[in-house]
Amino acid sequence: MILIHCPYCDDTRPELEFAYAGEAHIARPLDPSALSDADWERYLFIRANPKGRHNERWRHVHGCGRFFNAVRDTVTDKFELTYKAGEPRK
Amino acid sequence: MSDLATRTAPVPAEPAEFPGVSISLSPPLARWSLRARDPAALAKAIGHMVPGKIGESAGGMLCLGPDEWLLRLPEGATVPMGEGLPLSVVDISERAVTLVLEGPRAIEVLSSGCPRDLSKFAVGYGSRTIYETVEIVLVRKGEERWSVDVWRSFAPWLWTGLTTAASHLR
Repeated sequence: MILIHCPYCDDTRPELEFAYAGEAHIARPLDPSALSDADWERYLFIRANPKGRHNERWRHVHGCGRFFNAVRDTVTDKFELTYKAGEPRK
Repeated sequence: MSDLATRTAPVPAEPAEFPGVSISLSPPLARWSLRARDPAALAKAIGHMVPGKIGESAGGMLCLGPDEWLLRLPEGATVPMGEGLPLSVVDISERAVTLVLEGPRAIEVLSSGCPRDLSKFAVGYGSRTIYETVEIVLVRKGEERWSVDVWRSFAPWLWTGLTTAASHLR
């Protein structure tokens, strides 16, 4: 079982306590009505989908309940590090 | 129509006894979900000690998250609701029931479905976690005594899961 470090609990917990929540650091446009359809589509649906290092959101749903960010390798499934939501991309 | 609400227990009232562990339903408790950014303000508002570290418990209060606590007191207890203050005190007494596992093999029964390393739980440590697919709040009350809070509608399933695991002890 994969073990994931929760930056809020400061504890390493089994993956069953966590839920994946998509790519991290996607900011909602401040004025969506000013966007073209193509830009809006890009914000809603288009993701980096890298092979390798990926910044992504996770939620410690069966624990402290907090969202946080993680860097995971999408090939090996290895978690490089996790950090609190709101911190800059790592 | 009667004005009295009727409470029915979702699991048998009689404890289930197995070699090395007994599983029983705790008497009803009063429970509150407490949310606040500032633990000191919460402590002042409800007049209760507030543990600051996730997993710590003190006097029935368990810290579940960075701004979340669970307070469990004997039935009939009351706490101030903190009106007008930037915090939330919600009565969730009837949402959950508490099962108590007691005995030297209780840890084995819980480990049948809980992925945490329970031997690392110090006495007094508690946490929200998961048993198979059901969310629980697990607290180590004593060396051989554990309490499991589970949402009422999941309780019959959890009871079956725990008693089945206990019946496989040999």
